Amino acid sequence: MLKPKHEPATVAAIDTSSMKIGETNTGMLIAVRGATVCKQNKQYKYMRLGPFIFHVTDENKKEVYAILQTAYFTAMHEHAHQGLLNLIQMPTRIATLLERWLQTSLAKTLNNSLILFDGSLTSGTPDTPTQQMKETLHAARERGNIVLAFSKMTTLRVNGHLITEMLPYYKPPYMLETIGLKPKPPIVLFGDVYVARLTHGSYAFRLDIDKEASATQKIEAVEKLLGNDLLSQSYPETLRLAHILCTFTANEVIAMQHFITHKYGLKILNRPDIHRLLFGPFGRGEGCS
Amino acid sequence: MKLYRKEGNILQILSFPNETVEKGDYLLVEDAEAGKALIVQVIDVQFASIPGVLEELLRSLPDGGELIQGADFDPLEIAPHITYIQDASLIVCKIRATAENENLSPSSSWLPSRSQSTIRKLPIPTLLKLAKVDGKLPIILGSTKDSSPLTIDASSLDGRLNIITGKKETGKSHLSKLLMLSLVGYKATVVVFDLNGEYVSLGMTSDEKRNAYHDKIHVFAPSQNFKVALKQLNLHVLLGILIHALHLPGTSAREFRRIWQSLKERDMLNMYELGEAIRNWHCNQLVRDALFSRYYALVNSGFFTDEAAGTMLLEECLFKAKEHGGAIIVNLKNTSAIDRQIVVEYVLGKLIELLTSWKLAAVFLFAEEAHLYLRETYWDDIVTRMRHFGIFTTFITNQPDTIRENIYRQADNIFLFNFTNEHDLEVVSRAARVDAETVKFIARDLPPHHCLTLGKAVRDFPMVVKVKALDVKTMGETRLFFREHD
Repeated sequence: MLKPKHEPATVAAIDTSSMKIGETNTGMLIAVRGATVCKQNKQYKYMRLGPFIFHVTDENKKEVYAILQTAYFTAMHEHAHQGLLNLIQMPTRIATLLERWLQTSLAKTLNNSLILFDGSLTSGTPDTPTQQMKETLHAARERGNIVLAFSKMTTLRVNGHLITEMLPYYKPPYMLETIGLKPKPPIVLFGDVYVARLTHGSYAFRLDIDKEASATQKIEAVEKLLGNDLLSQSYPETLRLAHILCTFTANEVIAMQHFITHKYGLKILNRPDIHRLLFGPFGRGEGCS
Repeated sequence: MKLYRKEGNILQILSFPNETVEKGDYLLVEDAEAGKALIVQVIDVQFASIPGVLEELLRSLPDGGELIQGADFDPLEIAPHITYIQDASLIVCKIRATAENENLSPSSSWLPSRSQSTIRKLPIPTLLKLAKVDGKLPIILGSTKDSSPLTIDASSLDGRLNIITGKKETGKSHLSKLLMLSLVGYKATVVVFDLNGEYVSLGMTSDEKRNAYHDKIHVFAPSQNFKVALKQLNLHVLLGILIHALHLPGTSAREFRRIWQSLKERDMLNMYELGEAIRNWHCNQLVRDALFSRYYALVNSGFFTDEAAGTMLLEECLFKAKEHGGAIIVNLKNTSAIDRQIVVEYVLGKLIELLTSWKLAAVFLFAEEAHLYLRETYWDDIVTRMRHFGIFTTFITNQPDTIRENIYRQADNIFLFNFTNEHDLEVVSRAARVDAETVKFIARDLPPHHCLTLGKAVRDFPMVVKVKALDVKTMGETRLFFREHD
């Protein structure tokens, strides 16, 4: 059981989004944008970066990724974990790169704050190297910050049920600790995993909190979050705003296409929808890909 | 501007913020390959339906309606492009004509190329030239939006039925005075039924000096300088008054006819003898009573006299106007409803009499709020018979529903001022010479003294015009209780 702690604390959140805005003869055009939102003295302030537009082809994808990795994480040991770079995954990969950079930047600039990540504190994946996550969390800890990561979706299950759907009849706000999670290498969990139900309503989220923090610090961090941020459907407003601010609207996509056409004279192709062509109205049902 | 879609004779054009287009403007959609161009008029300007705009607006207001503060690092400067797309507008146009080799046809059956067509503003003077809106008898109505004068030809009012309508204080009477004086200037004969005494000083300038029209404006004030003697009247004119204005039943009208003939044979046509004759006539008492009540209505109107001296003669003024042009202003300001009908019946009867006998060629009749004095059957007469007699009517009203629908259908020219009431716009939109959308979309946004001119005068190219000022003494101002003191 948690009690909101109204002791003033800065709440910061980071989110990024990516979008394929068109195809060219040789590849695709990608737009990436990131946003950080800080709630301080009951006021929200945002910083939005982008959109950054990339023309990624099979020929340049490795180079583009490597340049960005070097530019963002010069201090990193190396970027050997590029993995297999798939052109289709490039928007997500570049956006994750931007997200990690923003997370590190906040961790290194804020003091005694709650830093909210979108997702989990899992590392060891191609776009989240273990060392990088380790350093980000370390930097945060050094300045008295505590990192809380909210996952909208989780695949963790207990007895076949999703952990976010097995809710006891307690009065929220509360969080439940999960014990005995053993990820398969090279995946590493840098956080303790909780199921957090912070407001009334049927939603609960997977919440990862920095493993290195003590149990008291973890509970205190969530209680401070309850006392300093608005929560709707168990989700913090700061993180929701970060998500809203970085997401591309259709209008923005048209504007970016307009920019590309006018600035670079690129002609964006409208590829025919093969599913539509072959199957007509049955071309794209719910859940088909 | 880019062609977006065409549905019937409605064309939708996508316009961007650097292209300013307003309602009423004309555009030329040129398809060079087809060698043709569509002339379209803007009837509405809307926001283009850009996907994602709602999300964009909601995003900027997440914090209890207050703008969230922050900074954007936008190295590629995409933001101006977003604004550019967001502010794009959809221009709804009505196709007016097709231009091909400088010839205009009303066709809208072809489709210009969406990708190749060029769209540009069509200056009003160019359009007027193309549409051949000119003539030998120009009347300058005022200036169009691009400050060019809008000139119509006086002959476009000749033989026509016109309507001037709009809500109060938008400038209807002003335009009617302008048209009337211009017609007088071209030696036309004009008769005005002046309900509020607004036209009586048209012969004076605003600083109360005589103007060029002074000698051509003849003001007739019923029961004052305008009276008629029975001797001057034809029986059918008086019967018209008795039957239509005073609702005399048919049997009584037959008896009256006999009395009239009896008096005429004895050369005793005067009001006194008429009264005596009714008193002594051998007839049913009910008929006598009916005749007496009408007789006293005639007497009480003060319009009928046995002393013709000192009164103005309508006929004389009409003949004078026939020679040099002139306006007969029938001032109905201080006249009761019944007396108004008596006077109007008399004037119209007299006009028909003079026109049928070809003593007059034609008359332009200006009727303000005609429903207050025109009898029911005249409405049909005006669109059918009167035109053939040579009475060309212009109705002026702020209550468009008081004019019958068939009048709108037959109207050749409509001068439409601002209306905001949907019902009023609905009524006017029944006019045959204009489409409902044009009336509803454009008229609603007309500023005061701006008029949408529709019909033959502008060759069916609806034009918005700011009516020019007149240097005449205005009399149509509303009398106010709370008047500002110096």
